Amino acid sequence: MNLFFGLVSAMLVGATPILLAAIGGTFTYYAGIFNIAMEGMMLVGAFCGVLGSFFLHSWLLGICCAIAGALVMAGIFVLFAVRLHTDEFLTGIALNLFAVGLTTFLLRDIFHVKGAFTDAGIRAIPALRLPLIDSIPILGKLLSGYNLIVYVAILGTGLAAFVIFRTRFGLRLRSAGYNAACLNSSGVPASTIRICSLIICGVYCGLAGAYLSLGSVRLFAENMSAGRGWISLAAVILVSGNPWGIAIISLLFGFFDGLTVFLQGSQIPTQFTAMIPYIATLVSLYFYSIRKVRRS
Amino acid sequence: MSDVLIDLQHISKVFPPDTVALADVSVSFKAGEIHALVGENGAGKSTLMNVLYGLEHRDAGDIVFKGAKVDFRTPREAIAAGIGMVHQEMLLIPEYTVWQNVVLGTEPVGMFGTVDVHRAREGVRRKIEEFQFNLEADALVGDISVAARQKVEILKLLYRNVSVLVLDEPTSVLTPQEIPQLFGELQRLRDKGHTIIFISHRLDEVLSLSDRVTVMRRGKVVSTSASSSLTKQDLARQMVGREVLFTSRRSPQEPGDVVLSAHGLSSSTVEHHSALHDVTVEVHSGEIIGVAGVEGNGQFELVNAIIGLIPLTSGRLTVGGRDITHADILARRSLIAFVPQDRGKMGASGAASILENAIMTHHILDPSFSIAGGLGLSHRRATAFTEQVRKQFAVSMGRVGDSFHSLSGGNQQKVILGRELLLETPFVLMDQPTRGLDVGSIEYVHELLLDLRRRRRAVLLISADLDELFMVADRIMVMWQGRVAADLATDATSREEVGYYMLGGRETAHAETSS
Repeated sequence: MNLFFGLVSAMLVGATPILLAAIGGTFTYYAGIFNIAMEGMMLVGAFCGVLGSFFLHSWLLGICCAIAGALVMAGIFVLFAVRLHTDEFLTGIALNLFAVGLTTFLLRDIFHVKGAFTDAGIRAIPALRLPLIDSIPILGKLLSGYNLIVYVAILGTGLAAFVIFRTRFGLRLRSAGYNAACLNSSGVPASTIRICSLIICGVYCGLAGAYLSLGSVRLFAENMSAGRGWISLAAVILVSGNPWGIAIISLLFGFFDGLTVFLQGSQIPTQFTAMIPYIATLVSLYFYSIRKVRRS
Repeated sequence: MSDVLIDLQHISKVFPPDTVALADVSVSFKAGEIHALVGENGAGKSTLMNVLYGLEHRDAGDIVFKGAKVDFRTPREAIAAGIGMVHQEMLLIPEYTVWQNVVLGTEPVGMFGTVDVHRAREGVRRKIEEFQFNLEADALVGDISVAARQKVEILKLLYRNVSVLVLDEPTSVLTPQEIPQLFGELQRLRDKGHTIIFISHRLDEVLSLSDRVTVMRRGKVVSTSASSSLTKQDLARQMVGREVLFTSRRSPQEPGDVVLSAHGLSSSTVEHHSALHDVTVEVHSGEIIGVAGVEGNGQFELVNAIIGLIPLTSGRLTVGGRDITHADILARRSLIAFVPQDRGKMGASGAASILENAIMTHHILDPSFSIAGGLGLSHRRATAFTEQVRKQFAVSMGRVGDSFHSLSGGNQQKVILGRELLLETPFVLMDQPTRGLDVGSIEYVHELLLDLRRRRRAVLLISADLDELFMVADRIMVMWQGRVAADLATDATSREEVGYYMLGGRETAHAETSS
């Protein structure tokens, strides 16, 4: 039973950053932007989260800094890809590489450490005990007591589904992706919608970054996003942007991520267990493509 | 009826460096009339309307709307003032329903920024009823016909309460049966007080629909007159500047032996492309077979099957007695001259030089192009050949080394036609060879086609232009849903009969109006 709770908990911990980044990515996906910069936004978010939390002595301000950091990255993307019409793919690659270099440099320059920075002064984001539910025996243990950001991610997913499919903004957002010329001729500039989608993506990726560095751990390590931004991109493309589909895919990756942690104590070398989420990505891509080929 | 609603005064527009698109054009449109704007491609009709609509900026002149000078900088401002334009290429979102497309940009909003679905849908439904448009508000635009999509475009403007509608060649995408229905709707709109400006180059339509006609030629207004006082001949003379013949120019001629024989061609559906079902075509020497059909009914697949771009699931294909069912494309090309519909993509490489485009295929099939046993290319031969294409097909171009896309559309097509026809193959496959060309170039292509026929080549001509088929083809084959719906002798059929088969032999247009 404890193993089960442990796995569920590990699954949610692993899924949360991927889910948040992917939900951010789904906004840009619907707006018709090929945005691969979630990795970089998340990494800068994680670094700025630690920066804010450490110097301002507040996890809340840490989160704010994380979001601000990711928004700066989103702003660069807007400037280049939307305003100056550079190639979105190249812009994304440049931003991702820039993020690794920048955070590594700042880590050494500000904190004078190599590899990772951790300090008791970094305030972590607290876990949240849900009122009422917490006291129910099994359900309480299953649903309550996770990090605040985990619940934010779940709410964020529902909010995204509502905004994209129910609101006026959502209708226009999807139009920008389906046929930008049509949206422009309807009197709504598609570039404005795209800029909004990137800003939203920045906020979500900032939250994902904050969770990485201030959620389950209290540290910043070089390149600590470790490909999660790319996995979130895979999740978005895999389910064509559907937020609930993204949630399921993220949980799946979270599960394998959690499995990695569990298998670390076993005989299998950690290098192999660390591969599991990435192998799972390939395997799911394989089955997804098979299904798609069969359908057509 | 008599008061002037829009007055365009002395409008001039020059496209840099020195293309005069509009030269001192003055036209006035009256409230509540259907006013046709006719002219050849490049006469300036669309440019004039784009200037009015805020899509192009004029260099001189004034626009007076409802008695006041106006200057729309964007279509949005024009729409807000009450002028809406439907373009040739429709701007709709196939993934959205009719009502979603109509309200996009002016959505009624409910709580928390939601789209007020009920109010939006009802609003659209009311408009559909008011104008008797026979549309389903909840239908997906991707599922409805082209004619219905056009109505959605018009409805989108009516929903924004425009009083002036500008339609840019609205009938070019419709089948003959769908046109009267559109005309009925436009006349109803006029009777409700709307003003309609209608761009066209189809003279019959213009005369039957409009109250007044303005003819443009080379950026100038030739005349504006009441359509009741005009004949088709008058209009054509004013448009082209000389007499135009509308009758078939085919001389009687007995077809010879079978050149292309396609028997029972079938293919499977690949990525939304419709499949071919048991298509049989025979083309004799000295004969032009026309293929008609609403776009997407297998014409493109038939072309690709003949040239070897899509695999066949069954059927047999021979050219001049040689079985090419399983031959590769190069082997086919030694027997088939091929003019694809997309001259920019499949027909040529825009970034390559004129010379490189002119010698494609020849450089492989003709050994005189190679030196050192195929290792190198004889530049002298290639240049001489390109010069031959230039002379024989009257291509107006700079140097042979200039890039292909420096040529005008008509000259690009001439280079492609020259290249293909100089292959001297027994069979010629032409997919929409006149699409997007101006009247002069179209006439030239028709002359070439008839010349091929006289020289007893076999031609299969796919065309969306029924007039063209009636002018040059000996027989017209109609395709519908990947099948041959009818095979008609041109002299024994009519546009109405061809149109009837284009819609699958159903009286769809009439059924729609009565329901």
